[in-house]
Amino acid sequence: MNFDARRYVIVAFIGLVGIIYTLRLFYMQVVDDTWTLRAQEIAEKRKEIIPPRGVIFDRNMRKIVSNRTYYNLMVCEAKIKNLDTVAFAKLIGWTVEEVRQRFKDIVKGEGTYYNKHSGKRTSNYQKIRKYPFIKELTLEEISKIAPHLDNFPGFFEEVTSMRNYPFSNGANILGYLSEVTREEIEQDRFYKPGNNIGRSGIERFYEKELRGIKGIRYVVTSALNNAIESYADGKYDTLSRQADPMKMGMDMIIQAYGEKLMKNKKGCIVAIEPSSGEILSMVSAPSFDPNLLVGKRNIGLNYPKLALDPNMPLFPRPLQAEYPPGSIFKLVQSLIGMQEGVIDENSGFPCDKGLVGCHGHASARNIPEAVQYSCNPYFYAVVRRIIHQNKKSNMFADAELGLNKWHRYMESFGLGKELGVDVSGQRPGLIPDSKYYDKWYGHHQWAFSTIRSISIGQGEVKLTPIQMANIAAIIANKGWYYTPHFVKSIGNKGPLTEYKKKRYTMVNSKHFDPVIEGMRRVVNENGGTARMARLDDLIICGKTGTVQNPHGEDHSVFIAFAPMDKPKIAIAVFVENAGFGGTWAAPIASLMIEKYLKRKIKDKAKEQRIFDARLSNYKTVSE
Amino acid sequence: MRKDETLVSHLDWPLFISFMLMLIMGLATVYSVAYNPENPSLFSFDEKYGKQVMWLAISLFLGLLVFLIDSDIYRKFAFPIYLVTLSLLVVVLFMPAINGAHAWIGVGSLGIQPAEFAKISSALLLAKYISELSVKQQNTKNVLGAAMILLVPMALILLQPDAGTFVVFTSFLFVMYREGLTFDPIILGVVNAFPGIRFKETWVGSHFIPIMFVAIFLSVITLLLSNVTITIPFLSDTKIPGSMGVLLTLAILGISALLFIRRFGTKRDRSRATIVIIIGLVLGGGLSFGVGTGFSSLAPHQKDRIELFLGLKEDPNGKDYNRNRAMAAVGSGGLVGKGYNKASVSSVESNHVPESETDFIFCPFAEEWGFIGTLVLIILYMFMLVRIIIIAERQRAAFNRIYAYCVGMILFYHFAINIGMNIGFAPVIGIPLPFFSYGGSSMMSFSMMMFILLKLDSQRKDVLR
Repeated sequence: MNFDARRYVIVAFIGLVGIIYTLRLFYMQVVDDTWTLRAQEIAEKRKEIIPPRGVIFDRNMRKIVSNRTYYNLMVCEAKIKNLDTVAFAKLIGWTVEEVRQRFKDIVKGEGTYYNKHSGKRTSNYQKIRKYPFIKELTLEEISKIAPHLDNFPGFFEEVTSMRNYPFSNGANILGYLSEVTREEIEQDRFYKPGNNIGRSGIERFYEKELRGIKGIRYVVTSALNNAIESYADGKYDTLSRQADPMKMGMDMIIQAYGEKLMKNKKGCIVAIEPSSGEILSMVSAPSFDPNLLVGKRNIGLNYPKLALDPNMPLFPRPLQAEYPPGSIFKLVQSLIGMQEGVIDENSGFPCDKGLVGCHGHASARNIPEAVQYSCNPYFYAVVRRIIHQNKKSNMFADAELGLNKWHRYMESFGLGKELGVDVSGQRPGLIPDSKYYDKWYGHHQWAFSTIRSISIGQGEVKLTPIQMANIAAIIANKGWYYTPHFVKSIGNKGPLTEYKKKRYTMVNSKHFDPVIEGMRRVVNENGGTARMARLDDLIICGKTGTVQNPHGEDHSVFIAFAPMDKPKIAIAVFVENAGFGGTWAAPIASLMIEKYLKRKIKDKAKEQRIFDARLSNYKTVSE
Repeated sequence: MRKDETLVSHLDWPLFISFMLMLIMGLATVYSVAYNPENPSLFSFDEKYGKQVMWLAISLFLGLLVFLIDSDIYRKFAFPIYLVTLSLLVVVLFMPAINGAHAWIGVGSLGIQPAEFAKISSALLLAKYISELSVKQQNTKNVLGAAMILLVPMALILLQPDAGTFVVFTSFLFVMYREGLTFDPIILGVVNAFPGIRFKETWVGSHFIPIMFVAIFLSVITLLLSNVTITIPFLSDTKIPGSMGVLLTLAILGISALLFIRRFGTKRDRSRATIVIIIGLVLGGGLSFGVGTGFSSLAPHQKDRIELFLGLKEDPNGKDYNRNRAMAAVGSGGLVGKGYNKASVSSVESNHVPESETDFIFCPFAEEWGFIGTLVLIILYMFMLVRIIIIAERQRAAFNRIYAYCVGMILFYHFAINIGMNIGFAPVIGIPLPFFSYGGSSMMSFSMMMFILLKLDSQRKDVLR
């Protein structure tokens, strides 16, 4: 038998393997990119370089938020060799138990994932990865530790950047940063665990404008996760870029001064530049040093204290506290009355104390007098005419129509809705409409007499202090406003577009003059309620308010603008439980205006009186 | 220098050149993958490439010796050489284990692996044994003799244990197939022991190579289907297990073949074909069933391994780490590769692919040179293997032919399994890629094999028998 033909079986076999392998390699290497992606996953790591956050300046280019270098003490378990726990604990000033516990906490903190195939839970922790052992050490602290780290392989330092506040003011406006949550990571792939994100205030609202652009370095890494070389000689790398500096409309000197004035008091000051809508100052008292909430360690230490403080320093009152406005509301009522034509500048109403209580003064014969005297019965009469215009025969239907018209006016003043200030978490206040009262009293079950307390800014009406300041700005502008905002310019691009839009109220500018005249008298004429706000060489126009408070002493309110002809500042001051508006809120506003426009306070006694004031409701916190 | 002139003029230059080309490519790859910028010289003996240069030099020196010595000694001394390697295989079992295997004699990187040399000596002895058989080869004693030559070293190698080299020894089956050795006498002895059966030949015993591959194909299909359920749409969506599906398909195929032959075949064809088909059906079904039940009765870790290999399971960071990393490295090469010395996944430094300078050296090569490179490599290997078979078939002496086939088949096995495990076509068993992988023993043994083949071929005309 001849087996020579069998050579062809063998050759065919070899050829077959050769062809199959060639096709397979062609598929794996050229056609299918699964394995290329897998290789990238294995060996190429994106290293992200986080730039320092954008710096923030005030309107006079004072740096108010900057960055400072901190150090993280990192650990990589795979590189630890013969760790002398006792010596290491001594070096970092911990106990041995604390060191051991920290190791456990790191592992625990990484969480676990569920493996579908094996049905087991596995820790995300990897020995070859680096984890921060102690975060945010200062240069001082790290310089004691770093020189000895050679004795503890596996531990090393890493530079990080954190916020620094040269002024210890404006904490509630600026906000603070904290570590991203799992949900935030899932929502925005920019963030990786351990990154910081703006948690409140400006830092939160302008997060995207402040965080800058991450740099990405592609590196080839070994199975031990060490970077070996840059991938493709850095061809795909991108540089990190710090965000453009941000300029705020705030005047930090005024802000600091305001916080000093409000020390030992509860309440707020909001100052706006009427011509631009820029917020010059926004004091929420009591406040705290923003440096207390820099970094995980500080937050862990100080946040609970601040949160538990009965004076609620973390509560941003100017944006979130909703107070009845009191008498300052009468300004808006007069404007609406005149626009509606139910009264005019020279309408007079008797001071009928049978209707509502008032203080001793002659009956107001016109709007300026009514404002000057802050006559309660006068405004009852005005608002009654606004609500009941006798357009419908049914009294209740008439009230419904009138109230809703009134509500639309109020909305055009930015009341009863969120103003749209550039910080997150602001409240709308409350301006009731017919639906609101229908809910309380039932449809067609109420008329002016039911709801009359809204006439003098009591009852259901609620405003936030920033809305109050905005009323002052609107009056200063005679009928329009820019939405109040903090940030004057991002880089050199100016403010966000919504802050460039002039918003007109429904009241014609000619109706403002009598009101302004009244406000002038409030401060500057005998019989005005805010004589304590008077300045010799500057005409301030203002209106006091004393908000009845069922829970305690009345709140003291004052809104104003100055100077009268070319207003540069509009302000609202609200002091909780301080009593009569003219006594506390007015002089504080006056001091603020003087400090802003003159930079110097003439009447030191007036200033000292405020500094010394320690209002009764302010609770002293034992340290 | 007449002798040298004969050598030069009688040397098979195509084979020699492809052999040298591979040695150069291999060394270049080892240099690239183990490159250490602190010792950039190719001759720095602290580095793997320096050592590989040394092994290469030793191999070339041995090759020179082979060329100078008369080729007749291999036939004459085949048995003593075989005995020496056998004794080394015994000695090695008493050596300390490295990576769990008693494979090395000697110390450190200068040790040798007797198993590598056992391939040559077994090839020589097998060639001598078969070539000296009489024309009447079909007796049990001869087949068993040939089998014994292989089984003794295989058993010793399995004791180390070295599964890779053990598997490579089955490449000699191809040689036996080519030489017409048949297992028929043995099979007939068994089959005819049953009463009433009188076979003259079984066909299985002599065509074992084609049959083996049908069997492997069937087994793989059975295993692939072992975990799935097949729904038959016509029979009111009856669900059957996957392994039953193979049996069913086989049955349908067989019955249609029977019907086809009944309709069109002659009477004589019919009876023969019917028997063949029925036997084939029974054997195929039995095999498929056996594999299926055998598989399900395996220990979990063995099952895991098979399932991973067949892609029925994934565990890229655990049990399937090596293969997954290797395939990622190969696949990421793209069309033209990442460039010489630019392997990112499979460099020794990055260490993602284990053994990337030895058993997985195809990874850095494929990663750096891409499909163009791997195509060249496969063509080069194909050329070499076919050339060896051409050389084998032109020998006048049976010894030379059989030895050449042995060399060809050993190289083919190494090529197919080594590259196969880099592309997911073969299980991960540690065997080197000839002429490429770093390592003294494999370098020397493959080179010796080639030099002996070249020498035998150059003297083929001297043999007049």
